[in-house]
Parts: sequence; structure tokens; C-alpha cells
Amino acid sequence: MPPKKKGGGKGKASQASKPPTATTEEKATSKDNATADKPPTKEKAKANDSAIGPALPPSSTTATTDPPPATSTTLPETQTILERTRARFTAARPYEAHLIFGPQQQQQSGPLPGKEPGLGGLGDLQPQERSAWLATRIAARIARRPALSATATTVGSATAELARVACGGGAKTIKEVWRIVNEGSVPLRAAGEKQFLGSATGPVSRRIVRWEGLSSQAKGPSAGAGAGKQVPSSSRESQTIAAAEARWERRVRLTCLSAESRCFRAQRDRERRGVCDDRTGERVVVTEQEVVEEKRRRLEIAALRREMSGQGAGSAARGVGKIASDPEWDDVVPVVLEEPEGALASIAYPADYAEAMSYLRAVMKANEHSERCLWLTEYIIKMNASHYTVWLYRAAIIFALKKSIADEIEWLNKIALANLKNYQIWHHRHLLVENHFPSISSDPSAIATFAASERQFLERILAEDTKNYHVWSYRSYLVNKLGLFSDPDELASIERMIDDDVRNNSAWSHRFFLVFSHPDRATPGVAATEPDPKVPPEIVDREVAYAQSKIRLAPQNQSPWNYLRGVLVKGGRKLSEVEGFTEEFVKGLGKGEEEEDVKSTHALDLLAEIYAEQGRKEEADLSLQRLGQKWDRIRFGYWEWRRRCLGMGAAAA
Amino acid sequence: MPGIFRVSGPRFPLCASLIGAGGLVVIPHTPQIPPELKSRIIIRQPLQVLSFSESSAGSAASDIEIPAETCMGLPGRTYVLPRDSSECLPRFEVGQRRHARIAACYVQNATARAHDRDTVQWQQTPSELRSLGSCAPGRANARATSDNDSDSVVDEEIPPHSPNPTMRIPDLFTQYPIVRDALVTPTSQAQDETVEACLPFLRGESDKVTTYNEHGVASLNRETHLPFLRQWLGRLPGRLMGFDAGRPWFFYWCLAALTLLGEDVTQYRADLVETVRFLQNPEGGFGGGFGHLSHLATTYAAVLALALVGGEEAYDVIDRKAMWRWLGRLKQPDGGFQVCLGGEEDIRGAYCAAVIITLLRLPLELTPESPAYKEDGSVNLLTGVADYVRSCQTYEGGISGQPNAEAHGAYAFCALGCLAILDHPARSIAKYLDVPRLISWLSSRQYAPEGGFSGRTNKLVDGCYSHWVGGCFPLIEACLNGSDKLPAADEPSLFSREGLIRYILTCGQDHSRMGGMRDKPGKFPDAYHTCYVLNGLSAAQHQWELDPPATTTTTTAAEEGGNDMAADTAALAEAAAEAVWAVLPYLGEEGPQIFDHKDRVRPIHPVYTIPTRCVKAMRDYYGTVEGF
Repeated sequence: MPPKKKGGGKGKASQASKPPTATTEEKATSKDNATADKPPTKEKAKANDSAIGPALPPSSTTATTDPPPATSTTLPETQTILERTRARFTAARPYEAHLIFGPQQQQQSGPLPGKEPGLGGLGDLQPQERSAWLATRIAARIARRPALSATATTVGSATAELARVACGGGAKTIKEVWRIVNEGSVPLRAAGEKQFLGSATGPVSRRIVRWEGLSSQAKGPSAGAGAGKQVPSSSRESQTIAAAEARWERRVRLTCLSAESRCFRAQRDRERRGVCDDRTGERVVVTEQEVVEEKRRRLEIAALRREMSGQGAGSAARGVGKIASDPEWDDVVPVVLEEPEGALASIAYPADYAEAMSYLRAVMKANEHSERCLWLTEYIIKMNASHYTVWLYRAAIIFALKKSIADEIEWLNKIALANLKNYQIWHHRHLLVENHFPSISSDPSAIATFAASERQFLERILAEDTKNYHVWSYRSYLVNKLGLFSDPDELASIERMIDDDVRNNSAWSHRFFLVFSHPDRATPGVAATEPDPKVPPEIVDREVAYAQSKIRLAPQNQSPWNYLRGVLVKGGRKLSEVEGFTEEFVKGLGKGEEEEDVKSTHALDLLAEIYAEQGRKEEADLSLQRLGQKWDRIRFGYWEWRRRCLGMGAAAA
Repeated sequence: MPGIFRVSGPRFPLCASLIGAGGLVVIPHTPQIPPELKSRIIIRQPLQVLSFSESSAGSAASDIEIPAETCMGLPGRTYVLPRDSSECLPRFEVGQRRHARIAACYVQNATARAHDRDTVQWQQTPSELRSLGSCAPGRANARATSDNDSDSVVDEEIPPHSPNPTMRIPDLFTQYPIVRDALVTPTSQAQDETVEACLPFLRGESDKVTTYNEHGVASLNRETHLPFLRQWLGRLPGRLMGFDAGRPWFFYWCLAALTLLGEDVTQYRADLVETVRFLQNPEGGFGGGFGHLSHLATTYAAVLALALVGGEEAYDVIDRKAMWRWLGRLKQPDGGFQVCLGGEEDIRGAYCAAVIITLLRLPLELTPESPAYKEDGSVNLLTGVADYVRSCQTYEGGISGQPNAEAHGAYAFCALGCLAILDHPARSIAKYLDVPRLISWLSSRQYAPEGGFSGRTNKLVDGCYSHWVGGCFPLIEACLNGSDKLPAADEPSLFSREGLIRYILTCGQDHSRMGGMRDKPGKFPDAYHTCYVLNGLSAAQHQWELDPPATTTTTTAAEEGGNDMAADTAALAEAAAEAVWAVLPYLGEEGPQIFDHKDRVRPIHPVYTIPTRCVKAMRDYYGTVEGF
């Protein structure tokens, strides 16, 4: 760029030597837009320069070309890695910085008319500067070869190597190189180009494009306008130095921990293979303490990795979660979920759950029944109690390991109270009882104890959720399994529940089962809606009386009415037996709005059946008609159908 | 303004089915038709609606002239009957297999006099008016017509109590029931709270509902339900990991609900196939998630979802041979099925298995690895299922999940579905269950003023029972209509369709921008409720007809036992699966249609809970496959 050769070059160099410029400008921008596009004043630049430290004269024009700093430690004002790297780069390679930042600085000071934003180019340098630049490069290359630098003092081989490096320049050239290097105090140990220039061997122009991208990013979008190509800088480069140092420390720590962890694994492996220690001659044993330490270590590794990858969740899914960090699971290769593309209703599983599931798949595939698997099932159940697979697996483990059923039930109680609406818990309990029962079946007192403890828990959970279907289903199973039909406590327990809420149909239902499925009173194969001749009459009388007493408490409660009807049918009685009782709740039927009073639509319903049973079709019809017309209109269609039943002579019984 | 309502039989090209068009049932009223037929005409062919038009010149032989407003959603109000429409009638007497019985009342030109008279009657007591016609108001009016021997009558109904004077809401749905007890228990408290929560919606007073129609019924919020359902098919947040064990359910719930709303779900085919492929286990069946054991419920859901999207690709993904073996291993000696290997045995398992077996046309033979296997081959996959179902009927009449438990709505549907798969409902349901008790119990599930169904005695209404209980009625009707021992399920319906529709559209919908259907007001909507509430709406809006059972000689074969009996089971199940369920929009005499035409959802097979065409396509496909 021929026009404005020297001045421009100087200006560029001076700016380039002050990496924080961009930051300063940004600050300025935020303060005052008017001054934003102006280059910093010379005074400012000078002040900065003096702060940087002793100058490095690349050429004779020391006064005009601001020297780069010799060491990075004297760059306190750099804040991000990118800035510091740039500062170091500039300090180490003043000429390249010149080449690179030349156009950069032009941009910062606003595009000069007629001046292409691009290469400053070697052409911008003075001949002296050029030779110095060349010398530095050669010297730097020599210096970077450890073998060479180590023997740098012994001239012999070094000279030969230098000669080669200096592209056949001969001893004289080498001498010249070193002279220039020495005179200019050019730092030989400069920051590696590769680190942040991408391709160190690439042509200068490419590097410059890269730099433009970097610097424009550092400066913000306004500066990127002239850049031909934007190269996104990684977040690492914009880190603050403190953060970078912390990161570095973490990396060191991580490396140490990983090494220790590898040792542990190796040790464990030796233990598994039964290897003897060479020195002591004893078998290698991994102590409990070591396992604890390893667990802690892995958690720390996982935490460090998480911090460094900047991700909280996803990393556990990649195998550094709670289970992966436990040495106990080292030998298991988790089966990781890989959902097909576009899977429907795919759940974004939390990392812990996803990890646990991967291990579950693995151990289930191997059909492993062990303590750790038991732990795993508990771990998963606590996250997702409706996971039927894990429940069945847990049961299999419990039985295979011959675990204490009592302990398991105690554990299960806690889970059940926390998950009221759950099928699986109750099936699990069912399996436990099935397994446990043979061991107590011959001991009535053991059965009684077990029944009492179960009842105690059932009462507790039913107090929380009085109509829980799964609990009641289990309860009927238990009564059947343990033969509790004659247990007075069971009946008393049910009566308490009915007393608490006479509308609890689940309790009524259980009572019916308890009374009428009693093996002494029930004929196998007789349906619930059919009469059973085995039922003793006194039981029927007792139950009829019980239902009637409860009906009186709240006549419009369908539960005892259904019960009453069910008892009568079961006992083979005529419904007419309760005609008098039922009529108590229906007054003045069909005698006009004023007189007609129905306390219970269920009574009227039953009355219609009673009349039909007695052949009093008109009264039955009237009852049904009044139900549909007034007392229970939502079931109008049903009452009409019932009326047609009368017509067909098929009383709905 | 009268419009042209074109009706065509099979001789005419079909453009749209009556169902798809939103449907109206029209029976011409002409001098040629005897008065007693005015309210009850049997048409032996489902009507097909071709188009609506504004023209009044109904001249074509297949045209029936009715007012345009009727087409727009006020059926039963005023029909203008053309002179020449009687000519259409014979054309419908075509087709032997399918038939549909449609009853509708026809009235013409309201007059102020009649209007006043009806109003007065309604104000006295609506039920008395019903008794006058021994039926719903519609028929009362029809009878009045014939009594007056006049061509003019009105069927406008003015309810005596309407909190909102602009809406016609019967007081049944706006007030507490007239018979109530003083005793307060937790059950009655919960019930009162529910009624309290529902009443504003039912009375047309809820500010959450944006549009009430003149009957005080909210419209179906399709525009929010559709995105809601699609969202549930997409990526779900981690807090739903509890559903990890039941992912196929989402496929079925969402796809079925979308289908009910008239959406084309074939676009989901490819994704669904890939998703279920990795849920399928090599030992047969589909698990709830990847690596989960196969479960009958999730397999049922996956198979139905595949049937919904249809196509060979979807059908081929199912490993039927492995499925068949797996089902055999689940089969228990008592006739029921375990839901998964080592899992519980309940009636849900039996229903799911029966659906899977018949949809996939699996062979019924058992392999020796089945716990129910018998060497003489007398036991097959469906043997004993009916007895198992029977053992689940309780003293209340309803069905429990396992023997000796409490009667529960969801299991009632499973039980009836099972029996309807095993044989014609008229035979199987009547043979294995105490039908009058069952109907009594089912009908007790409907509450007023809510109008919705509860799942058990003294429990609260919940939108999902619209399907579990509401869906029982088509099966019960098929049972009664084919039975000679019990009266047919005639008009009026065995349950209050109006009540159910009111509950669904006012209380069962989420009226916010979230969309979706729900249990009851105050509960969050979800995919499960959206599916089953819409299913229930479909059951309330349509009427199903099944041919009465053909008289067979198989009853004697049962006595011979052994292989014959097993073969018999297979034959009956095959016949039941092949039976044609005809459907029409329900337009009974209960009263005017209270919902808008656009709020009609698609009909869905009463047993398989997917559209009839999906059942047929899947079965037809496997019918052509040789072996597995």
C-alpha cells in the first residue's frame, strides 16, 4: 500500500502494540459515539506504551515505531485470553504484528480513502525491518527445536543445523542472523503461531483474514464490516485471564485425578485377576477406603468435566453421572438410548434417569441379580414409580437373593405412601406375599401377625386415600390369600371405615366380598349377582339389618341400597322382604305434587322392582314413570327401558 | 330459507357420507305416509348426504327439501317437506346387510298458537310434557301433530328455568338434584364441590367459555385441541418421565383424538413406524419404553396407533409371530391374561389381548410354553375369557378389574369389549353377564346436574368415563337389539346423550389457549383425557347398529367339547370381527340437537375404538398374508 507509507505503518504498529485498544474503544463507544470512530490520541497511545515497558527497536526508527513489550507479565491491562494472546504475539513478533495489524488499525481509525483494507505487506516495511523480521523467523525456528536450543552454546552441530535452516545461506548468513537477533533483543520464545493463527505455514494473507475475523469479533460487530470473512472465535478466546487460569488449574487437577483413577482401576483389575503384589507377595486387595476415595474422585472428575464443558445435564448422559462415577459399576457397559430421528412423544429424560436406565438395560440383559442391581431398582423407582419393568426386576432380585420380605415390605410402605396412584407397587406387594406365604402358611400365629401388620398399613394408606382402587384390590387379594374371611378384625376395620364415610362404596364392596366370598358360605362358580344356597340365612338377616341401619343415616346414598339388593339376591330372598322398609322413603306416590315425597330415588327404584316381583305392574310402572318425570330425570331413558321391561313381563330381576 | 338436502342411496354416486357432513336425518312428511310413521320410519340404508344448497327448487327425485337453517345445526326445529319426496323412500330400501334404523320427527311451520301452548306446558313441568308423549318432547309434538291432524306444529322447547334467558338449558342441568341428604361426609363434600365447580359452566355463566350457543353449550375448541395434541406427539419435557413406561399410549391417544377431530394422521406414519420399531421386543409385543418389558396395554396402544396411520409399512413393523407366542405365554389357566410376563392379571389384559388377536388375525392355538396349554388342544387364546369376564361382575352389576374387587367404569368397557369380540354381543353379553343389573349400574354412573359419568358408585364425574362408560352403551344396545328376552334399546337412549354432550363441551374442555380435554373443571387437560372425552363425545353423537346375530347351530357343538369347542370359539370370534357396525348420527327424540354441526366428531368403532375403516384395512391386510 504505497501511499502514506511510513506514517501509516507507524501508526498501525503503534496501535498494534496496544492490544487493549479495542477495549478502550469499546468503552469509548459506550460513552460517546462521537469519539468512537476516532483513533486514540497520541498521548493516550504514548501513555500506554510507557506502561508497556522497554521498547524493542525493530529498526532504526525507534522513536516512531512503538516497540512491543518483551514479556507478557507486563501486560496487566489485558483482560481476555484473546487480548493477551494478541499482546504476546505482538510482543514476540513486532513485524508480523505490523503486517497483520496494519490494515486492522486502519480500519479502527476508519477506512482511509483509497486504502484497501488488507495487507500492510512486506512492502510496508523498511529494508532494515525486513531483514530483522527474516532473522527473527529463522532464529525462532531454530530456537523451537529442543535439540538445537539445548546445544545452542556448542557451536559445532548447531552451526550445521543453522546453516541448513538458513536455507543454505552459509556461515556468514547465520552469523548475520544472530547478530540481528541479538541487537534487536528479539525474543526467541514467542507464542506459537499455530496456537492462534490456525495455519502457521499458510500464506500471510490467510493469516490476516483470520486475524481480522478475530479482532473484529473482539471489537464487536461494527468493526467486522470490512472483513472479508468472519471466523467465529471460540468462547475460550474471549475468556478472561482469571477464568482461563482457573480452567488451567482444573485441567491439571483433572489430569491428576484421572491418573489416580486409572491407577485405581488397574489395581481393581489386578484384584479381580488375583494378582499378587511383587513386593509384599500378598494378593492385591482394594480396600473399602480406596473405593470411597475413588467414588469421591470420580464425582470430582465428573464435576470438573461438567464445569469445563460448561454443561450441567448432558454430561451425565455421556457416562459421568452418579452410576458411572461409582467404581461398583465399572464392568457394566451401559446400553444408551438412541431414539430414532423424529421419534414421537420422546421424553427429554433428565440425565440421572437416562443414565440409570442405560445401566438397567445392561444388567437386565445380563439377567444379573445382585445388591447393586437392587440398589439400581430403588434408584429408578424413586424417580419413576410407574416403571413396571423395574418393579418386576426388583421382585426377581429380591427372590433370587432371598432378601427379607419384611424389610422389603417396610421399604415398600414408604414408597406406597409417596405414590398413592400406582398399580405397580401393589402388584409388587402381591408378589412378595405370594413368595412369603409358603413360609408362614403352616403357622396360624405367623399368619395372624402378618395379617395384622398388613392391615395396619392398609388402614394407614386408606386413611390417606379412602377409595384407592389398587389398595382395595390388594386388600381383597390378601383376605383371600391369608384366609381372613372370619377374622373379626377385618370386618371391624371395614365397619370403622363405613362409619367414617357411609358413602365409601369401596368399603361396602369389600364388605360384600368379605361376607359372601367366605369359602364356607360360597359355592364356587356362582356369580356375584346370583343366589347362592350356601349362604346361611342368619348372615343374610344380619347384613340386611346392617344395610338398613346405614340407609337410614342417608337414604339417598346408593352404596347401601346396592348392598341391600345384592344381599337379598345372594341369599335367594324376595325383594318384597324389604317392601315395608323401602316404602318408608317414598310417600304419596302419584298423589300429586303436594303429597308425593321421595326421600330416596334408590328406594323408588327398588320399590318398582318389588312391585314388579309381586305382579303389581301398574304401581311398578308408576314408580318408574315418576323417576323419569321428576325424581331422577337424568336417567329418563333408562327408566323408560325399565317400563318396557315390565311390558315384556321380564321384571328387571 | 329452504335449502336442498340431497340424499342418495347406493345407486347414486357418493360424495360425502352423512357423518362427514355433520349429518341430519330427514324423513319426508307427505300425505302418502301414514301419520303413525311420521315419527318412526325405518330406512334400510344409511343415508348419504351429497350437498346442501340454497335453492328451493327441490325437483330431483333424490332431493328432500328442508330449510337451510336446519342444515346449519338446528335439526328437529322446522322441516319443510316437499311434495315429491316420498318417491325417494323406496330407493333407500336397498342393501340387505347394513341397515340403520333412524327415527326422527317431522314438523312443519311453527305457529304462534302452538308455540304458546308448548311454552305453557314446559313451564308447568317438563317431565309431564314428556309423559304426555311418553317420550321426549319431539315425539310429544309429533303426536300433537297427528292429533290435530294438522300440518303445523312446533317443537320449540322453552325450559322453565334458565339462568341465562338467551339460552335454553333445561333446569336438570342447572340445579342440584332434588333429592339430597343432610348428612355430610367426605364423599358428599367432594361431590358438592364438583357440582359447584361445574355449575357455572353448565349454566352458561362461565366467563372462561367464549362461545355458548343458544342451548347454552360451548363449541368444540378444535383450533386449540389440535395443536395441543400435536404437541403431545412431539418432544416432551423431562418432568413427564413418569410416562416413560407408557409411551405408546401417547401415540394412540393423540392419533385417535386427531382422527376423531377429522385430521389425517397418515403423515405420522413414518415416524410412528420408526418409534414403535425400537419399542418392540424380539420376544414379542411392545414395551412402554426402550428396553422395557412388553406390556399388553402398551402393545394394544401401539397396535391401534399403527392401525390408525395404516399402510403396509405400519402393518409390517409388527412381528406377529413373536406377538402370538408372547400372548400365549401371558394366557392364564383361568382364562385371563397377565398384562406382562410376571405381571398382574386383570380384565384390561383380557380386552387388550382380544383386540390384538383379532386385529392382527393371530392364530388362536397355544404353544406348550403357555401356562394354559393343554395337550388335547381344547384350550386356545380366547378360551375361558368370557368366564373370566363373568367372574368380574360384582353384586352391583358393574365390572371389577379382578374378581372380588369394586365395580369400575373402565373395566366395564374392557369387559363388554371382550365379550363383543368373542361373539355377537346379543349372545355373549347376555350369556355371561346379568344385563339388567349391568345396565342399572351403567346408567347410575350418569349424574345430574353435571351430565357426565362417574367411574364408581359415589365417586365423582370424570371426563374420561365419557368413553369408558359412555362407550358401553353401543355394545349394550347391540346386545338388547339382538335379544328377544329383553326390550330393545329404543328411543329414548339408555343414557342422556344431551347430558353427556353438555358435560363434555362445557366442563370437559379446557377453554384457555392451552386446549385439550380434561377430567373436570379445575383439572389440567392431558392427552389421555383428550382422547377419551372425544371418544365419549363420539359415542353420544352417533348411533350404532349391528345386525342381529345369525342363528347358528354352534350351540350344540359346545356340548361336544374338545377341539370342536376351540374351533367354535375361533369361528364366533371371526364372525364377530367381521360383523358390520353401521353408524349414523344420533338424531333421536330426546330433543333438538344441542351442539353445532361443526362440533360433531368422527364415529369410532365401538369395540376397537378406532375408525371402522382402520379395523377393516388392518384385518384385510393380514387376511392376505400367508402365515406370519
